[in-house]
Amino acid sequence: MSENILAANGLMKSFGDLTAVNGVSFHITEGETYGLLGPNGAGKTTTISMVCGLLTIDSGSVVVAGDEIKTTSTRGRAAIGLVPQDLAIYPDLTGEENLAFFGRLYGMAGEGLGRRVSEVLEVIGLTERKDDLTKEYSGGMQRRLNIGIGLLHQPRLLILDEPTVGVDPQSRNAILESVEELSRAGMAVLYTTHYMEEAERLCDRVAIIDEGVIQAEGTRRELVSMVGEKDRVAISATGNLTQAAEAVRRIEGVTEASASDHHIEILAGNASGLLPALLEGVTSSGASITGVEIREPNLEAVFLHLTGKALRD
Amino acid sequence: MGAALRIAGKDLRLRVRDRSVLILGIIAPLVLSYIFYLVFGPAATGQGLSLEYGVVDDDRSEISTSFTAVLEGAAADGILELTTFDESAGAASSLDEGEIDAYFHIPSGLGDSVFANQAATIDVVGDVDSPTSTQIAASFAEQFASGVASSQTAVATAAVVSGQEVTPEFIGSLGQDPASAAMSFSFIDETAATKQLDASTFFAAGMAVFFLFFTVQFGVTGLLEEERQGTLARLMAAPIARVSVITGKAILAFILGVVSMAVLVVATTLLLEADWGAPVGVAVLVIAGVLSAVGIMGLVASVAKTPEGAGNLGAIIAVVLGMLGGTFFPIASSGGILANLTYLTPHAWFMLGLAELGSDAPWTAALPAAAAIMVFALVTGGLSYILLRRRLAQ
Repeated sequence: MSENILAANGLMKSFGDLTAVNGVSFHITEGETYGLLGPNGAGKTTTISMVCGLLTIDSGSVVVAGDEIKTTSTRGRAAIGLVPQDLAIYPDLTGEENLAFFGRLYGMAGEGLGRRVSEVLEVIGLTERKDDLTKEYSGGMQRRLNIGIGLLHQPRLLILDEPTVGVDPQSRNAILESVEELSRAGMAVLYTTHYMEEAERLCDRVAIIDEGVIQAEGTRRELVSMVGEKDRVAISATGNLTQAAEAVRRIEGVTEASASDHHIEILAGNASGLLPALLEGVTSSGASITGVEIREPNLEAVFLHLTGKALRD
Repeated sequence: MGAALRIAGKDLRLRVRDRSVLILGIIAPLVLSYIFYLVFGPAATGQGLSLEYGVVDDDRSEISTSFTAVLEGAAADGILELTTFDESAGAASSLDEGEIDAYFHIPSGLGDSVFANQAATIDVVGDVDSPTSTQIAASFAEQFASGVASSQTAVATAAVVSGQEVTPEFIGSLGQDPASAAMSFSFIDETAATKQLDASTFFAAGMAVFFLFFTVQFGVTGLLEEERQGTLARLMAAPIARVSVITGKAILAFILGVVSMAVLVVATTLLLEADWGAPVGVAVLVIAGVLSAVGIMGLVASVAKTPEGAGNLGAIIAVVLGMLGGTFFPIASSGGILANLTYLTPHAWFMLGLAELGSDAPWTAALPAAAAIMVFALVTGGLSYILLRRRLAQ
């Protein structure tokens, strides 16, 4: 069994009358990417701030790599790499100077620091621009440097707070690829986002958070099955589609099938497994298939089911 | 402490690249002190102002003699230069030649008029090209006349009450000799009495301490800039004590302040011939002054919400304290309520400390003023430290 790198237990945080985080608990193991998925204002950043020791915790605890995190202590902080939601770099320092400065704050020095800075510059693709002031970087380059600073001291837990907000598609893909690589290398990653597709692509487990409460947690498949969402199959065909839909409806595992102008819409528990039977059912009724599309239920649907609202609300 | 120094080092690099600290910390005070010296120096402080007077005594009474005696005494003290003329024509000629700035003409019969309780006049004739010196001469004469008039009033009142005539005997019996009023009129060497700085030193020191607060602000408000650009979160997430962030900013502010002041002391000494006094005493005053600026501007940073807000509030406070503290004008010697209020600013104590140092006083002469400045530093610094820690803890 993998070691727990982060254990958050019963985190609570209020600002005046507003309860921002209400009893949030989760853990992340080595090499695991854990997603906090929720809309803006759900409590993701507040949770992260408590995990990093930036915010005092009203109640509950955070343990990172065996050390309890507190605002009043520096214990355990070296094990955390933080990539804040907003850019956190010095515009009038070069990329290399930014990395070196933060490296020194984490106790790095001398050749080791220089070597590690070079490595990170290579990873984030900024070696050629390392001597330029970061205010001269493009937005995507600044984002990559923002992540590089979090990686520099080789933390055991990397926390990325919505790192792709406001990033162009190319840079966004590069960031997601970097996170996948880090995870493969064994780093525990806590990733917050309100982009469902990012959570689905990156995260081994996802917690759906809303109004400061984790509504559900698990793998994508677990979450989907937890709320009873089913796959949707759209078969484009010609011929008597009403008769074809009736034939499909009789197949075991199919919950619903209906015909429209040129499509048969099917709702099934495991569409991939049933696909041969579905195609056989349509063709046996005399219809000719022109196309097939399987739409598995996504986290967006789960979120909608759990909270009654869309992720981008 | 290592983390604080690293933060200060990083900020120093940023500030040097920024160049604005160079402008506000060194160039602006240097240029302004030079301009102020050129424009206001001699007029504001008396330095370089010639007081070359003549006197023509056609009266030769007890009163006119006492007036000239006061002038001669001032000349003996080196406050003015006095030439005695036998007649007005000689004085006028000397005035035309530019040998004197003004002359006093005491007309014949002045003493008799005074004893007769009648109006009397001393003429002051000045060079049109020396208006300040002439004005000062007129002030001397008015001061003398004022004393004489007071005595006349007292004598006249006594005569009415007693029903006697005003005669020299009667005046002698009262002990109210108008001539004694003239004797009580004397010149005061303000420079010696209040230990004012010479013009170049005054404006150099005034501008240096005035701009010091702007310079120091660059360091202290860096905390707000860290907050705005998001790097504060990174600093606070790092394995360093939170107080290191505050200490780092304070160290930078202190370094900027000391370097700025040191450069200005040296530059104004060489370029403006400013006489700052004993180096150790100046160093003590500078360090105390910088610490007080760090404390006051730290307090500004602790209550401001944005770097711009801190900049605006800091500028207002720097200007008000600078004006009240007498960095533009020697308020301490102006009298009135401002002369007392000025000591509520570290600027005034700084200027006083420099004046106490003078050109030949030991460095310890600066200690009382430095101690007063340190009170400002400790109170405001302590308060700002508490408020900033509380702010970071939220």
